[in-house]
Amino acid sequence: MDPAIIEFIGEKCMISIIPNFSNEPLHLIYGSVGPFRAGFPVFVPLWMATHLRKQQKCRIVPPEWMDMDILEEIKEEEKRSKFFTKMPCEHYMVVAQLVMSTAPDDVPRCEELRTVIKDIFDIRESKLRTSIDAFIKGEGTYAKLDNLTLLEIHSVRPILPYSLDHIARYQRTATASQRDTSMLSASMTGSSSGPNSNSLFSQ
Amino acid sequence: MSDVEDVAETQLEIDDTEGAGLEDDDDDDDMEQITAQKVLETLETAWINEMCAPEILPSQADMLELMVSQVAHMEEQMRDLDKNDFRAVVHSMELERVRYIMASYLRCRLQKIETFTQHILNQEASREPDDKRLSPEETKFAQEFASNVDEYFHKVATQYMPNQQRGEAEQRIVTPNLMSHVFLKANVAVPAVIVGVDDEEVDMAAGSQHIIPYQLVADLIQNNQAQLI
Amino acid sequence: MSRQTKLFGEKAFDLLKELERSSQTIPAFDDDGVRQVLEEIKAIFEENVAQASTYNTSGDRSLWPLLNFRHAALQRNKRCLLAYLYERCKRIKALRWEFGPIIPGDIKQALCEPEVTFFNNYSKSLAAYMCSAGYNQGLPIDLTNNLRPPKSLYIEVRCMEDYGKFELDDGEVIHLKKNSQHYLPRAQVESLVRQGILTHIA
Repeated sequence: MDPAIIEFIGEKCMISIIPNFSNEPLHLIYGSVGPFRAGFPVFVPLWMATHLRKQQKCRIVPPEWMDMDILEEIKEEEKRSKFFTKMPCEHYMVVAQLVMSTAPDDVPRCEELRTVIKDIFDIRESKLRTSIDAFIKGEGTYAKLDNLTLLEIHSVRPILPYSLDHIARYQRTATASQRDTSMLSASMTGSSSGPNSNSLFSQ
Repeated sequence: MSDVEDVAETQLEIDDTEGAGLEDDDDDDDMEQITAQKVLETLETAWINEMCAPEILPSQADMLELMVSQVAHMEEQMRDLDKNDFRAVVHSMELERVRYIMASYLRCRLQKIETFTQHILNQEASREPDDKRLSPEETKFAQEFASNVDEYFHKVATQYMPNQQRGEAEQRIVTPNLMSHVFLKANVAVPAVIVGVDDEEVDMAAGSQHIIPYQLVADLIQNNQAQLI
Repeated sequence: MSRQTKLFGEKAFDLLKELERSSQTIPAFDDDGVRQVLEEIKAIFEENVAQASTYNTSGDRSLWPLLNFRHAALQRNKRCLLAYLYERCKRIKALRWEFGPIIPGDIKQALCEPEVTFFNNYSKSLAAYMCSAGYNQGLPIDLTNNLRPPKSLYIEVRCMEDYGKFELDDGEVIHLKKNSQHYLPRAQVESLVRQGILTHIA
């Protein structure tokens, strides 16, 4: 999956804006948004918020969790916990990135926030790498991944599923070749197809 | 300037689509009411499932058809709006997103059809009419594609190869690896899912996420008990 | 066999390697290479048929490994050759998505005649499919557009060559002159950007 698709999916998140114009509600396919009243906050999808912000038609209200105290706490918790903690938003990286790049002026302590969010992401990524290493060495084929966000899952795609697929394939081949060695002597005359003749373009 | 308030007609009726096409025009009583929002959500889930699943999933042709008519309807309504009007811009942006999902969904399916052509055609042939996974248009495309590739291979190479055995064409069939690992999110609580070759079982809580070989959860995805991520 | 100074399957493997290494959109079809591989396949096959009959009549087990080896070489040749064609198929399909229903002249020269037929057939089925994908609304969904998730409705583009007039959906006609800059609906100019006539700036 393309990172642009992860962003596209994350852009569905609802976020609060303060418009500088007034308008009746808009009936989008996804559901209605508005009414818009100048100076009053209203929830809209992130894709719409960033557009309106670029047109200077609104201010973005950063989500509650984009706050130094809350994020510092999350960071400490993430360090302490052996498991992945639950993030305040399923798409926290996408939301943070888009809000802070579109509207840095709307976000108090923007630079500090950027750093702490990156720290949280890095801690989680390193945890993810360690657990994957253990998982693969343990020859597992199934694992629970609670509280990982889509972007984090994406960061180990395709490498994790591919590695597991390959390990599984080697295991199958090993089993099959054990079987085949015992069959080999009974096989093949002249140009007929042998038991091991590989399929073309095999998956 | 006309009012856009009713641009997004949020109630859709399956009967609303003109002409033939849907199979449920037999009885007005079971005319289904479905909101455009619901149709879009269904399509979006189908799109993500399709991108993540190794095999081709049942076609959402009827949902697509509803959405295509919804998009056409909204475009019609917007025609009179100044294209720089705030409302027109937001509606167009949403329509762009919807069109992208539809196009990407169909492309993803075409890609699988092109990769696993013969395998998919064989499977379709063995399915009951109600269980077919391809839309009639996709089936036609798949058949044309299969014969097009065969013709090319034949003209350039296979006709000159001695002793073509019947088995060799079979060997050339590309099949998806159904045991490939996928990321999954349970939509509801699903008890006792077999998660390993040794019949190990796990209870999946609603909202829980897992990595698991596709085949073990294929039915959960079809029943919408879980979705791929 | 004494004439063999090269290894079995070498040419077939070369075909694939050359294709893989090529930085062109699609390199010229290697007519000669394909013919050589087909000849090698035929030669191996004939040698094997001859010796297999000796083996069957005399029961000389010492021939058996050789027969097996040749058979493997034959299969490998077939496999490499078909993989070569399969990879070319993929690239020819990509041309349709990138350039539309007409292959640019310089690229067309790289294709052999069956490949041009393949392209034309593919192009036709794809167009028919896209027309039908709009179902009964008479609205074809152009799958070769909307390739990336949409970000903004309009994009700033610079024109790379004198293209001439370009009509937008709303009837407005713009003149695309080399080095001119425009602010245009992304969806409508996506294919011009892909063909390199326009470049997306900032």
